Amino acid sequence: MASNKKVLLKVIILGDSSVGKTSLMNQYVNRKFSNQYKATIGADFLTKEVTIDDRTVTMQIWDTAGQERFQSLGVAFYRGADCCVLVFDVTAPNTFKSLDSWRDEFLIQAAPREPDNFPFVLLGNKVDLEPRAISAKRAQQWCQSKNSIPYFETSAKEGLNVEQAFLAIAKNALAQQNQTVDLYNEFPDQIKLSNAQRPNNGADACGC
Amino acid sequence: MAEFDIEPGAARDSVLIASGSFDNFEQMSSSLEEIITENAVSSREDLNLIGAQADNGEESSSKAENGVEPEEEIENSVEWTSKKKHIFVLSTAGKPIYSRYGNEDKLAWLFGVMLGLFKYSRDSIKSIHAGDTTYVFLSKKPLILVAVSKTGESVSQLTLQLNYVFNQIVSMLTLKRLTKTYDERPNYDLRRLLTGVDRLIDHLLDFSETEPAFTLGAIQCLPLALPDRDSISKAIKDACSKIKNLVFAILLGNNRLITIVQMKKYHLHPMDLHLIFNLVLANESLKYSESWTPFCLPRFDNSGFLYAHVSYLADDCQACLLLLTVERDVFFPLSGAKQKIVEKLRINGGMEHINASLASLEESALAAGFPEVRHYLYKCKSTAQFYQPAACPPYARDRIKLMELYKRAHHKMHYSSRSLKLSFERSADEAVFSWDTKGFELYAIFEPLIETSSAIMSVSKLLNWIKKREDKLFHLNAYTF
Repeated sequence: MASNKKVLLKVIILGDSSVGKTSLMNQYVNRKFSNQYKATIGADFLTKEVTIDDRTVTMQIWDTAGQERFQSLGVAFYRGADCCVLVFDVTAPNTFKSLDSWRDEFLIQAAPREPDNFPFVLLGNKVDLEPRAISAKRAQQWCQSKNSIPYFETSAKEGLNVEQAFLAIAKNALAQQNQTVDLYNEFPDQIKLSNAQRPNNGADACGC
Repeated sequence: MAEFDIEPGAARDSVLIASGSFDNFEQMSSSLEEIITENAVSSREDLNLIGAQADNGEESSSKAENGVEPEEEIENSVEWTSKKKHIFVLSTAGKPIYSRYGNEDKLAWLFGVMLGLFKYSRDSIKSIHAGDTTYVFLSKKPLILVAVSKTGESVSQLTLQLNYVFNQIVSMLTLKRLTKTYDERPNYDLRRLLTGVDRLIDHLLDFSETEPAFTLGAIQCLPLALPDRDSISKAIKDACSKIKNLVFAILLGNNRLITIVQMKKYHLHPMDLHLIFNLVLANESLKYSESWTPFCLPRFDNSGFLYAHVSYLADDCQACLLLLTVERDVFFPLSGAKQKIVEKLRINGGMEHINASLASLEESALAAGFPEVRHYLYKCKSTAQFYQPAACPPYARDRIKLMELYKRAHHKMHYSSRSLKLSFERSADEAVFSWDTKGFELYAIFEPLIETSSAIMSVSKLLNWIKKREDKLFHLNAYTF
């Protein structure tokens, strides 16, 4: 098991089919890109280690299938995520319109404690392609309306902004983790709990 | 076959809870609350006692130092894939918590796949069988445990091991804390709370591969003459009689139970005692100081901690004494009690008896006059105790092989589609005799050419031999505070 300095972050990638989720992940982890489209079946998992402020952070990246028939499996994976990456294709307006439903579905299924502060990141992928259907401004406006989530324009093909985007993802998730108090200190002692249920607390048998 | 009114090793009051090997894992025997409530009277005296003795002893560290492993990239190697048994623990979010081999961070993708398989089956998958590999899944909320084994062990045996791993984690956190942690934060990285516990789990898994106690659900005692064991138990009872809320006093030596003295009405489950053995054996550092550590016994009460004063009797007596209480700040009274126990054991000769038994080599079946018996296990069911002779060739150096024979035999008796009462199976290497009766279980390994009739005669003689020595080989008289 790892020492306290090590952190593992669970990152979920969501978006319509063929927006480039798998390609982004492959570019990021393996620095490879293929023009061939291979639909993800169910989900795909990759690991990438990054160092942020002296901390070794392992990103456990969950690349889910965008196709609707795999949705029921996908949602089972949302719980316990540390960050959610939403991806759309800047040349395909429908993939941008779906963002709201991806985000809503994620929040329902993952049920994070503070949905308003849950770390999302938006990636507009395929900026190497023409013609563009969604402008950077429009995407940024959407981000503003969602409690200003960070936005990156990426090209998995050319490796543009991919590294930076994932670094931001890791930082965001990490910041969220650091905010929460260590649970260890929150817990009252077990014996005390059962002690409190005693009607007469006068003679403290527990000695605590 | 041998006829007994009572099977060897049976006793009126068992110190342990009699158990089937794979009984209900959830059931607990007690509640801590009950103990606290029942012993609430005269607790003020206790507080005074604590105050009076507070500056007598010295505080000591209870946790073992963290094992830091060298970072090796073995996760993709042939060495890693060829391991005979992998064990993994993950959270229901798919975050890695434990991997027996390799760095679980590097295997994070694999934990995703495991959760995928589990979720795809709608949380209902129990096992997958592919060639010689068995994959076993155990869902113990809020964790998922997975075994990947090429050992030939059955699904129920692997499930038992996963239950032990889960209980080991619970022993460090309590189930209440574990559940609460994930209720509040499903993305929690549990490794933060479990630093150092991986070593305990590693040890537990290695230990259970050579130790029949786990498969049998029983405990082996250090051989001691009945009056000697009684005088040791009595010394502990007398030294601790004034201490309130002391639930168990356990004395062990060399992976054998010497005695247990317990609070009236409370009994220890063998599964919990195995975890205690593991704690002691896995932590060399306990030898050098008096330790104070919270420890949850999951089969006793998985919601709360007991607090254990752990120490070895003396430099010249390597038996480990554990005093378990529900009070969390009575280190010094218990340290005082320990000194009293040591004094009494020096005077009444208990320590000498323990040392003599620890020093004497365990007898092999051959030395006991059974040249045709290579090895055997005898379990008395009502007291959850067992006896085995020393291993001799061809198994002296291959305890794992010996255990594999027993696991196979044990599975055949208990968990195959048609469980057996009596079986005699001959192979090229050995003949295995298994017998399951109401009172006991016996597994004996013979050389392969033995006649069936001589094997049966041997078994009969063997049982008589055990019966004659039962008061030495087993813990028969239960003492209570």
